[in-house]
Amino acid sequence: MSIAPYVPIAGLLVLGALFALFSCTIAPLVGPKRFNKAKLEAYECGIEPAPVPAGRFPIRFYLTAMLFIVFDIEIIFLYPWAVSFDMLGTFGFVEMLLFIVTVFIAYAYVWRRGGLDWD
Amino acid sequence: MNPVLAADITLPHINYGAIAPILILLGMACVGVLAEAFLPRTLRYPVQVLVSLVAQVAGLATIIGLALSNYAKKPTLTAGDALAVDGPGLFLQGAVLVLGIVATLLIAERSVERGGAFVAQAAVTAGSEADAEQARRQPSQTEIFPLSLFALGGMMLFVSANDLLTMFVALEVFSLPLYLMCALARRRRLLSQEAAVKYFLLGAFSSAFFVYGIAMLYGFAGSVKFHDIAVAAISSGKSDLLMFIGLAMLAIGLLFKAAAVPFHVWTPDVYQGAPTPVTALMASCTKVAAFGGILRIFYVAFLDSRWDWRPVIGVIAVLTMVIGAILAVTQTDIKRLLAYSSIANAGYVLTGVLAMQKDGISSSLFYLVTYGFTVLAAFGLVTLVRDQDGEATHLSRWAGLGRKAPVLAGVFTFLMLSFAGIPLTSGFTGKFAVFSAALGGGQTTLVIFGVLSSVLLAFPYLRVVVLMYLQEPAADAPTVAVPGALTSAALAIGAIVTLLLGVWPSVLLDVANSAAQFVG
Amino acid sequence: MTHVLAHPLAGQVLALASPGAMGTGEKVAFWVLGIIALGCAIAMVAARNAMHSALFLVVTMFCLGIFYIIQAGPFIGMAQIIVYTGAIMMLFLFVLMLVGRDVSDSLIETLRGQRTAGILVGLGLAGLLGGGIARALGSIDAKGLEQANATHGGNVPGLAALMFTRYVFAFEVTSALLITAAVGAMILAHVQRNGEKKTQKEQSRERFAEGNHPAPKAGPGVFAHSNSVATPAILPDGTRSARSISPLVEPRELTAEDTRPKDTLTGGGNQ
Repeated sequence: MSIAPYVPIAGLLVLGALFALFSCTIAPLVGPKRFNKAKLEAYECGIEPAPVPAGRFPIRFYLTAMLFIVFDIEIIFLYPWAVSFDMLGTFGFVEMLLFIVTVFIAYAYVWRRGGLDWD
Repeated sequence: MNPVLAADITLPHINYGAIAPILILLGMACVGVLAEAFLPRTLRYPVQVLVSLVAQVAGLATIIGLALSNYAKKPTLTAGDALAVDGPGLFLQGAVLVLGIVATLLIAERSVERGGAFVAQAAVTAGSEADAEQARRQPSQTEIFPLSLFALGGMMLFVSANDLLTMFVALEVFSLPLYLMCALARRRRLLSQEAAVKYFLLGAFSSAFFVYGIAMLYGFAGSVKFHDIAVAAISSGKSDLLMFIGLAMLAIGLLFKAAAVPFHVWTPDVYQGAPTPVTALMASCTKVAAFGGILRIFYVAFLDSRWDWRPVIGVIAVLTMVIGAILAVTQTDIKRLLAYSSIANAGYVLTGVLAMQKDGISSSLFYLVTYGFTVLAAFGLVTLVRDQDGEATHLSRWAGLGRKAPVLAGVFTFLMLSFAGIPLTSGFTGKFAVFSAALGGGQTTLVIFGVLSSVLLAFPYLRVVVLMYLQEPAADAPTVAVPGALTSAALAIGAIVTLLLGVWPSVLLDVANSAAQFVG
Repeated sequence: MTHVLAHPLAGQVLALASPGAMGTGEKVAFWVLGIIALGCAIAMVAARNAMHSALFLVVTMFCLGIFYIIQAGPFIGMAQIIVYTGAIMMLFLFVLMLVGRDVSDSLIETLRGQRTAGILVGLGLAGLLGGGIARALGSIDAKGLEQANATHGGNVPGLAALMFTRYVFAFEVTSALLITAAVGAMILAHVQRNGEKKTQKEQSRERFAEGNHPAPKAGPGVFAHSNSVATPAILPDGTRSARSISPLVEPRELTAEDTRPKDTLTGGGNQ
């Protein structure tokens, strides 16, 4: 069966999901619950809070996501190269190095222009 | 190392000399990005202009060197047969660069609009206080130069790609910078951003068609190389249907870039919204690249199946010429008028392509260069007619310009006459070349429609001329800016080449003729 | 992962997956994941909230990735999961958040009948393509997976061999695309700060500099007879403070009608 090598991954996925499920269900069950009416009200004064519409994300999240995709795609190219590293030899190494250096030009640009600073 | 993996791969032989022009352009584009990263703001503009022009001139010199050292006569395939270095490839690469240099001159101009035609920071919200401030004070951003180098490098790769995969990567490499450049206008930024979004969405859609076509053709031929597809078209036992679906999809992707009807709807909006120097680049270089790809696919991969698809593309050519001309008549904005005229011109080139013989290639190559220079000069002049809101592109604002600015109006009239195909201009010799090639290839119907559409298209051009000379200028008529050295040079080159190729076409036609042999 | 595939067995294991032969495990995986994928795809189209739509799409894409792996295409499976399910979907979600997740599309057609025409043309195209492909492929026997995998010992090494031989130039040029993408994202989304960022010390100095008012601004309407945002605060010396109201608001003198008690608490009546 071709999925044999992926069994560990599947196992890890299941474990991860189980852990998330466990944490979410167990916390309200075992956590202390001491509610009273005053605790749920607004502090001292003011009107009852109405749900505020969700705000918009600042655009810099988009920049981060774009940069992530750029390097994600670079990694996808690394994958077959790494698998066949022996077969490809020096030529493959040089070509991959060239590719990585070129993509790092983009990194240098983003870094120098402050694209990585959060504020 | 284990024996299963030891199966040796034969490393591709890369003839670096033969692909040097592309490498120079893309390498210098990387240098441009590094310059953006590490140079202080004041130094960026001069360095970028220098890098940009040096890259293109060096690339052009290399291409001429390659052409003289017999690559056109003895074409080669290199880099694992992914690139074809042959006559049409070199000619088209040279054409992209020659037109690219002139477009770069327009892009680099900073005196017509103070600070240049591009926004300082495109991320600043359009119409905000900060935006008004930067429009007044800050000079254009300079990323436009490496972006245009990437676009030009991608176009050069596109016209010499020898398989569909390389062609697709090249298509994206030249499209992506163009989408970006459309969004960078200094004035009317919302229009510019709208143009970029439209171009991007429709362009991505057409790229998807292109990829789908590649998949179909791979299913048909078991390879994405043009030569293998051509062989499979003759000898494959599989159903031809797969090939025609694939060809149709590829054609949609390519005809979109070439702005042929019915894949033209983006053209007027994008040409109008984009900064005018970028529009000039798109109208000249992108057209050359798109038709370079069309020529190579039709003449290398699908030559033997031409009897089946030629009528379909013929219908598209007729539609392109006729609809482009009719809609040009109704336009009231000079940039939209030129956009529709560029659609009609795509139809004329397509007529030449459909001759499907040697002079079909050479006449199309010739036409692309003549049209490119004329349209560059025309858009260059559009940047000069201004009022306080920037370029005054509405046709009514051009009334009486002949009296206010006789030189500008004179040059523009000459360019309009060239578009209309009046003898002694390159517009005439170009049309003559493609129509006679099409006649030789038995495409009489196309030629009849072509001539009819040219007559129709002469009307909007001449209307502009009449408007400039025979009407009174309005009281608040726009002023004509004094062109800076760079724009003057671009205008002079465009106008002189239009005249030169009109009176002495053989100087370029001979080159195109000797280049018109694809390697398969 | 990678070392598992590079293992000599991996190549043989992958080569075993031939079309037609379908193991029990594969069947089970197909039916389970197929139902999940289809269900989530329908839910994606049907979901009212764009955010839910996107999350359903994640599940569908993930299932597709596993399908690819089962179909002996580990590279495309991994690319699907890492790039599409991972990065592209993250971008989707970010863009949804940027636009604001409560924003919904206007359903008004600017061109009448456009949507109907679009659906009809789309269905027509799909029918045409589907019919054509079905006819064209009906007579073809799939072949070549064992052959292709045997040459270099598996799907991924085979891809690597192609990537570094015939398509090495296309591969290298892809980096130009990535640079353009990064530069483009910066141009369109990054506002550059002019000069250095002010330190806390500098900010503090500036605050107490000559001619500046270090204390918080008075709120509009303070010591005035109205709490309207258009009423400037009155300073202790009786002057009006222009700093207390937004420059966008025009300060105005209130009329007697404005200042009249409205009896809002008792229900007043005469409004």
